[in-house]
Amino acid sequence: MENQTLVQEICPTTTQQWIKNGALLVDVREKDEVAQLSYDVPNIINIPLSVFEEHFTEIPKDKEVVMVCRSGARSLRAAGFLVNHGYDKVVNMKHGLIRWAQKGFPTKGDTSVVLGNAQDSGCCGSTANSAKQSCCDSSPKSEESKCC
Amino acid sequence: MKQIKVLGTGCPKCKTTYNNVLEALKQLGMEANVTKIEDIEEMMKYNVLTTPVLMIDDVMKVKGRIAQIDEIKEFLK
Repeated sequence: MENQTLVQEICPTTTQQWIKNGALLVDVREKDEVAQLSYDVPNIINIPLSVFEEHFTEIPKDKEVVMVCRSGARSLRAAGFLVNHGYDKVVNMKHGLIRWAQKGFPTKGDTSVVLGNAQDSGCCGSTANSAKQSCCDSSPKSEESKCC
Repeated sequence: MKQIKVLGTGCPKCKTTYNNVLEALKQLGMEANVTKIEDIEEMMKYNVLTTPVLMIDDVMKVKGRIAQIDEIKEFLK
């Protein structure tokens, strides 16, 4: 993810609060990725980026929505797309499932697909890998992302 | 002069598309204004979801895959 002003971004820890407040998560990863490892939260739908243009209207406009993916790069583009289509309650979750799993937040499936060997790295706190892993300030130039 | 934009995040596919544009122009002996757009905010203005994207004179010609040299040449003819 890179610096931009179109879409508000929040970290996985803040996302927990949004979830408690009833926000809907929209995972834009492809089906095969979701089958391997998914977010284990009550309100989530999967609209892969490859079919997003055809299906984005399934996302309610009147609800708070957190866009998520693996690293936060694809979901940022999808969030920008929604903002451009009049969605004003949409935010992007920075660092995606990678940081989510590193933080130990609930998942279903095999976390090794995103964690690899690295088990630690902090969001909003200490970091194991490097300063550029910190999520609540400037973000790293991507990355871990499957960009295309 | 044609305005050609390649939108992408700097991934290999995006670089290949950009290079293919340059090669297509070379083969046609044409000149054009070729711009590479990697800035995410700029990309979002175009509602880009999947990259790379090839735009010619502000019309989206190819998105989400590498534009091949021959098809770029066709677009430019």
